[in-house]
Amino acid sequence: MEGRIEEHPILQFKRKKKIKFYFEDREVEAFEGETVAAALHAAGIRVLRHTPNLGRPTGLFCAIGKCSSCLMEIDGIPNVRSCMTKVKEGMRVRRQKGKGDVL
Amino acid sequence: MNLYQAVIIGGGPAGMMGAITLGNHSVKTIILDENESIGGQLVKQTHKFFGDHAHYASTRGFEIAQKLDEEIVKNENIEVENDATVIGIYPNNTVVYIKDGQEHKIQAKKILIATGAMEKQLPFINSDLPGVYGAGAVQTLMNEYGIMPGKRFLIIGSGNIGLILAYQLIQAGVEVRAIVEALGKVGGYEVHANKVKRLGVPILLNHTIVRAIGDESVEGAVIAKIDDKFQTIPGTEREMVVDTIAISVGLTPLTELAEQAGCKVEFIPELGGYVPIRDERMRTTNPDVFIAGDLSSIEEATTAMIEGKIAALEMARDINGSDTKEEIEEELRTLALFRSGPKSVKIRSGLEKMGIKISIPTKPIINEKKEDVIGKLRAVLECDEEIPCNSCEASCPFGAIHIGENLNSTPVLDAEKCTGCGTCVNACPGLAIFMMKENEEESTVTLGIPYELLPLSEKGQKMWGLSKEGNYVCDVTVERVIKYPNKTNIVYAKLPIEFKDTVRHFAFPKKESPIVCRCEEVSLEQIEKVIDSGVTDFEEIKRLTRVTMGPCGGKNCKLVVLGILSRKTGVPISKLSHGTSRPPVKPVEFSVFKKGGDER
Ligand code: SF4
Ligand code: SF4
Ligand code: FES
Repeated sequence: MEGRIEEHPILQFKRKKKIKFYFEDREVEAFEGETVAAALHAAGIRVLRHTPNLGRPTGLFCAIGKCSSCLMEIDGIPNVRSCMTKVKEGMRVRRQKGKGDVL
Repeated sequence: MNLYQAVIIGGGPAGMMGAITLGNHSVKTIILDENESIGGQLVKQTHKFFGDHAHYASTRGFEIAQKLDEEIVKNENIEVENDATVIGIYPNNTVVYIKDGQEHKIQAKKILIATGAMEKQLPFINSDLPGVYGAGAVQTLMNEYGIMPGKRFLIIGSGNIGLILAYQLIQAGVEVRAIVEALGKVGGYEVHANKVKRLGVPILLNHTIVRAIGDESVEGAVIAKIDDKFQTIPGTEREMVVDTIAISVGLTPLTELAEQAGCKVEFIPELGGYVPIRDERMRTTNPDVFIAGDLSSIEEATTAMIEGKIAALEMARDINGSDTKEEIEEELRTLALFRSGPKSVKIRSGLEKMGIKISIPTKPIINEKKEDVIGKLRAVLECDEEIPCNSCEASCPFGAIHIGENLNSTPVLDAEKCTGCGTCVNACPGLAIFMMKENEEESTVTLGIPYELLPLSEKGQKMWGLSKEGNYVCDVTVERVIKYPNKTNIVYAKLPIEFKDTVRHFAFPKKESPIVCRCEEVSLEQIEKVIDSGVTDFEEIKRLTRVTMGPCGGKNCKLVVLGILSRKTGVPISKLSHGTSRPPVKPVEFSVFKKGGDER
């Protein structure tokens, strides 16, 4: 799959089961254990949301759950950190627009 | 509510070491960690660590994490709660965390907060564009998930993280266009810088990023030179085609939980920003709360582990009266040793502001070099900066390398004792040791270099010998390749003896011919063509290609051209006529000559 490192001089990547999820209704392949943000990057998707005030595209910054730059709408719930959320079979992921409605 | 003797927040190197130490002193401990598995930032470190042999020196970061994890699993006193996000600390040492969408509360006698740090952002135009990442984020994607977020990188900041990231990116097979550094010198360790320079990554000092280019995602960057007041110098802007920009301008401690726990924090820039005030044994202003690792001062995993241990030893004393006095003193000595080098000046002065004085046991020294033994296969140590590492000394089975009591001292080789076994080349975390043997009778040298890239070369292959700056120097022939289980292999190749101190990396030939003469922009191919057409006189080659005739006067490329001529004609470089050197040897304005001189 695109974006994934196959051969590495030091590391070995043991990938788990292949699964499918949806990004903006488009089917994306991933491996179990990957975060939503990681799986999207593997598919070449880097724009994760648009900012509330200026509508600027933004994406990952820290990838370890600290900066909240990667908030997305996951299975209908807004403001989820996509860098800390593991992707699941059939998950529906959307770019967050604005602040996200409070449920 | 669940009661524990000790709670550790954060399962990075500091937290893991703290847990093991507490467990070993019979303290019931729980680690709360936000990730799927513990290890913190160690899991994405593929490089071998500096340090002392007793402290996992020469072991790769992710392997240190594995080893610590194994110890934790074995230890009955330690419980690990993964995917647990701590959201607050309340009175009576109550820690609240979320797991699986549910709130949990636990209480502990003592708390160790080891939440680490996060990357500092750098404001520039479009710095919020997707494709601008913290260096750590790139490492996470690349080394934890095996996912490459880009193909062409620009790195901002030449501290150790930036340097190590550049090296890791090249290992993973992508291109690093440059490392940009605002200061006039490299921030990280020299050996880390040398590793990437010889792979051809330029480190642009006194430069900054002005803007990222792109609409939806990064497509390029504008960088520029800056003056000593960090202002961009107009007219020096230049565009670079990159798709990813990695920021590594430093880390800042994550103090929120410590503050909630009532720990006083203070702004100490030398330690990374706001840090909790604590004593020498890691106790904060709340007597039940301890800290360790990057939260207490931005340093390295090695010091984080020692701090975790010290905190835990003191906690164990509080909790069950364990007699840990001697152990603590021993660890404090080790920590002081680690911080005794010139690169730790900042940490030392930061700690002093907090009232912690580090008494350095023995001062590090620049050891005097011993006489070399030419013509014998031996190690060449190129590690001249005082850094906390003694892996080479510890690894040599023949006692041929000396560093001494303070591990920050520089290593020296006793070439008489060296058997040429190569063990130290393989062990050195800085990849700063090479093997060398001159073959005087054939005017060649056999050079062995540490090699951690793919593909691995094979015997008989032709490669390019690159200089310390990553420039083409000469062709080399691979003689043998020694593979090691730790993946730092050694490639031995033969090259003209004249280049024994110049060549420090071997690379597979690229399709594009390398530039040999930078001033006149003459490529290897152009020179070879002229020689192939029958021209074997250096002066003639010069006239036809203009090599060596630029402003540098051939200082950079003359020998390289002679090397090509020698390879083509079979005449050793030393036997070739190398032309006449004409003044001026440095570039001079023409007007100087027009004015006429003053003859004395
Ligand atoms: S090559 Fe072997 S003998 Fe020589 S210094 Fe290195 S480890 Fe020691
Ligand atoms: S030469 Fe020795 S001291 Fe220097 S980095 Fe290598 S192992 Fe460490
Ligand atoms: S990228 Fe920073 S929280 Fe997800």
